[in-house]
Amino acid sequence: MKKPSRFRNVSRRGFLALGGKTIAAVTGLSLLPGTSLAIEGPKTNTLAAIPKASVQPVILPTDINRRISLVGTDGWASIAGTTPIKIVGGTANVFPDPLADASIGKNVYTFGFRNTTGLDANTVAGLKGEAQISAPLLFVDEEDKVTITLGNLGLQIRPDLVDSHTIHWHGFRNAIPLFDGVPEMSIAVPVSRDFTYFYFPHDPGTYMYHCHFEDVEHIHMGMTGVIFVRPGQNKLGGTSLINTPISAIGYDLLPSGTPKASGYYPKGYAYNDNQPISVDGSPNPLSTAYDREFSLFMSEVWAAAHYNDAHIQATDWSDYKSDFWLMNGRAYPDTMLPNLDTLADYTTATPPAGINSYDAQRLQSQPISSLVTANSGDRVLLRFVSLSYQQTSMTLPGIDMTIVGKDAVYQYSDSRESIGTGHPRLNPVSTVVTSNTIYFGPGESVDAIFIAPTYDATLPNSRTDASGSYNYYLLYNRGLFQLSNGSDSGIGGQATEVRVYPSGTLLAQTAPNA
Amino acid sequence: MPLFRPKIFVNGLRLGVLLLMCAILAGSLSAGQDVSAATTSPKTGLVCTSGPSFSLAAKSGYISLPDGNSSFMWSYGLVTGAAPAGAFQFPGPFLCVNQGDVVSITLKNYLAEDVSMIFPGQTNVMANGVPTAPQFDVNGQLTSLTQVSAAKTTAGPGTITYTFVADHPGTFIYESGTDTEKQVNMGLFGGLVVRPAGHPDYAYGRSDSQFNPANEYAMIMSELDPALHQAVERNIKYDITQQHARYWMLNGRSFPDTIQDNSAPILPKQPYGSMVRLQPYSATANPNPALVRYLNVGALNHPFHPHGNHGRVIGRDGQAFAGPNGEDLSYEKFLVLVGAGQTYDVTYTWTDLDQWNPATNPIPVTLPQQQNLTYKDGVTWYSGSPYLGHQDDLPTGTTSYNQCGEYYQVWHSHALNEAANYDLGFGGMFTLERIDPPTATQTSTGHTCS
Repeated sequence: MKKPSRFRNVSRRGFLALGGKTIAAVTGLSLLPGTSLAIEGPKTNTLAAIPKASVQPVILPTDINRRISLVGTDGWASIAGTTPIKIVGGTANVFPDPLADASIGKNVYTFGFRNTTGLDANTVAGLKGEAQISAPLLFVDEEDKVTITLGNLGLQIRPDLVDSHTIHWHGFRNAIPLFDGVPEMSIAVPVSRDFTYFYFPHDPGTYMYHCHFEDVEHIHMGMTGVIFVRPGQNKLGGTSLINTPISAIGYDLLPSGTPKASGYYPKGYAYNDNQPISVDGSPNPLSTAYDREFSLFMSEVWAAAHYNDAHIQATDWSDYKSDFWLMNGRAYPDTMLPNLDTLADYTTATPPAGINSYDAQRLQSQPISSLVTANSGDRVLLRFVSLSYQQTSMTLPGIDMTIVGKDAVYQYSDSRESIGTGHPRLNPVSTVVTSNTIYFGPGESVDAIFIAPTYDATLPNSRTDASGSYNYYLLYNRGLFQLSNGSDSGIGGQATEVRVYPSGTLLAQTAPNA
Repeated sequence: MPLFRPKIFVNGLRLGVLLLMCAILAGSLSAGQDVSAATTSPKTGLVCTSGPSFSLAAKSGYISLPDGNSSFMWSYGLVTGAAPAGAFQFPGPFLCVNQGDVVSITLKNYLAEDVSMIFPGQTNVMANGVPTAPQFDVNGQLTSLTQVSAAKTTAGPGTITYTFVADHPGTFIYESGTDTEKQVNMGLFGGLVVRPAGHPDYAYGRSDSQFNPANEYAMIMSELDPALHQAVERNIKYDITQQHARYWMLNGRSFPDTIQDNSAPILPKQPYGSMVRLQPYSATANPNPALVRYLNVGALNHPFHPHGNHGRVIGRDGQAFAGPNGEDLSYEKFLVLVGAGQTYDVTYTWTDLDQWNPATNPIPVTLPQQQNLTYKDGVTWYSGSPYLGHQDDLPTGTTSYNQCGEYYQVWHSHALNEAANYDLGFGGMFTLERIDPPTATQTSTGHTCS
């Protein structure tokens, strides 16, 4: 049923014509805070040390703005739960998993991604069995040409299992199947091989990515994370980007590591809003400007399914019933601990302030903090994302949140979003709403902005840490069954704190979630 | 974990799919369409049963599930001249009427207990000429949300006629109002489409709801607990609090059956497919979007995610998203969380925005990198080429379902435990979108889609 193509090899020839030169210097890298990776060198073939059947080298053109390398593998996580869980009618503990290294608090088997951008091949090979939960936080700029090279390191605990992996950029508009990551609709990456995905994102907003290979299992096992696209407006100081070439740009945003002055620039924008930050001295709800940004990624753990994968047992997914609810891969109170460096050796290295050596080792594969910190008056962007299998209802008593984006769509509509849809809009309208509880389902994203209230030392919710005194507010899942760690008593699961310091206390953010 | 069932079973499934693909291709090549001569349904898209008067029959029957299981069902079948006692089908027919029609539905009941129909979103519904109302027994216990069609007796089937004026356009559910937690799960549901007066190509009475009538789709979302169906079939007790769905369906089928044609011969009692098929947006050749109507008749919420592009959500529960002055309040989403009992109307386009072309605008990464890839289970919907309308080599031993360089995208529930058939993955509430190359591309490449 297949017809011969007249286009064989044209693509390769066409792209050699682009100039098969070595890779030019790459602009700044957009990756998880806390990893030690800063600048990517010319190494892009993440599995170079592993023999493979390639007869053609992967030649990368010079006009790629962002090169990201990831690998898929397995690993172990540590979930803040103490009550053992047994299979109904069974005697073995499915939680904590008896195969896990209890000496550093590991208790759940996972699959996941690792960021290998800029790492040498030996270091990459050493990451087998060191999956990260949740996946590296990725971000790119609108109109960047992006490659993500995915390598498959195989599974340390399951050498019998030769599962391939893929990357599905969930929500990417006008996707083409080769780069959509559904293995039945195009390709998958087998063990010891890699593949370079290409993206040309035109639509800013918050998205997610995950493996789509045997998706019911691989997503639940932890191959899930956040990717977001920053708007071109960031580079234009508030002027509309639409139909403006990227060439004439200049940042005038708040630089990292500087204190915010009055009459300041924001750190960035969530969308191309073309809106003033304030109107008549009051905050403009249509503005997507922010001083600080935090991604909060929701996922679940059904302990029996994780145990089954480690112990060569089958799982009937129609029996799905989660035991743990995670935010950025951790359960409360671990959610409030700081970002970690996934490549550090915390047996000897000094951990970041606010976490001890044991917890740093225990949570090193879950490096992303969910602690939200801000100065009074800061505009704080929360990017809520879920790849759970159940709904989430995040509430922040005491501080209202304004929902400016859903599913990578700015909630103030005008003619710009009708480009190419054949559906022109006649009336600009706002669907921006303010709320203190945000309900969203699996596979949805919500961008919400709050303005940090004025610090008040007389309030009972006051504490002091190394940065100074602050008021704290709980941010948690009002789906109360999701606010526990297994059968443990007390609060757990999808909860964290928002900490508000006096104006001028914290320097400008150096990275999301930092 | 590779697959959750013994290999031989999976191979059987795959063989089935292969045979079906052959059947589809054979069908598409012959003008006769002999195997489905009884129907004139389009291969994909909404199959309307036109009104405004309908005659239905509550019947029992069996459906097949993709893992080889079958299930006892109740459903609303269509009464025709050829089938005066009604022909079992699942789900009930899509009833299509025009705004302003006086709709009349006569329901004969061949089941051994009372059944009924309710029409959420309709007002002033009458039953046998009197207003509908909840029914109570002599002790004041609620027995039905509306008047019933009585259980079949030796004298024959029960009968009742419901009437209402379809006074506003939209997508609606009809379902049983009697012993609902059992009867709806048993299959007594269907869809009702009310078209705006004078505009069959509008979803609502506003020009910005215009869609391409060749690309109109409806997907009824439902869940199935086989234990309930066994209990009903055997007339044994069932504890409704133990309800546990094992199958998740679109239009009464689970993937991969969802992508079979309408009236596919292998699914004789499940006539409605869910494959979405369209061509890229073109200001001249294809200016209007596809319309997809979601109807959730289940007891759970279903987060439905179309790959490939956002949809524009234009209405819900038979109400266009519009402001008090007619402002367009529709919005784009990459996932629609369809609540139990809700309907959503969503338009879709796919735009070849970057115009990648192997000769003039190649994708700037090395392709195809075949040596380093796998095609899952040796079968693929992929064309071998990333370029729309083009095909290229696939490794020996890989079977392709690709016909003309078209793209396929998966659309599925993102509560991924629902993307399964019992314990078998890659199934359930899951279907495909097929994006055919523009006609001009088909002409230039010689790869013709049919």
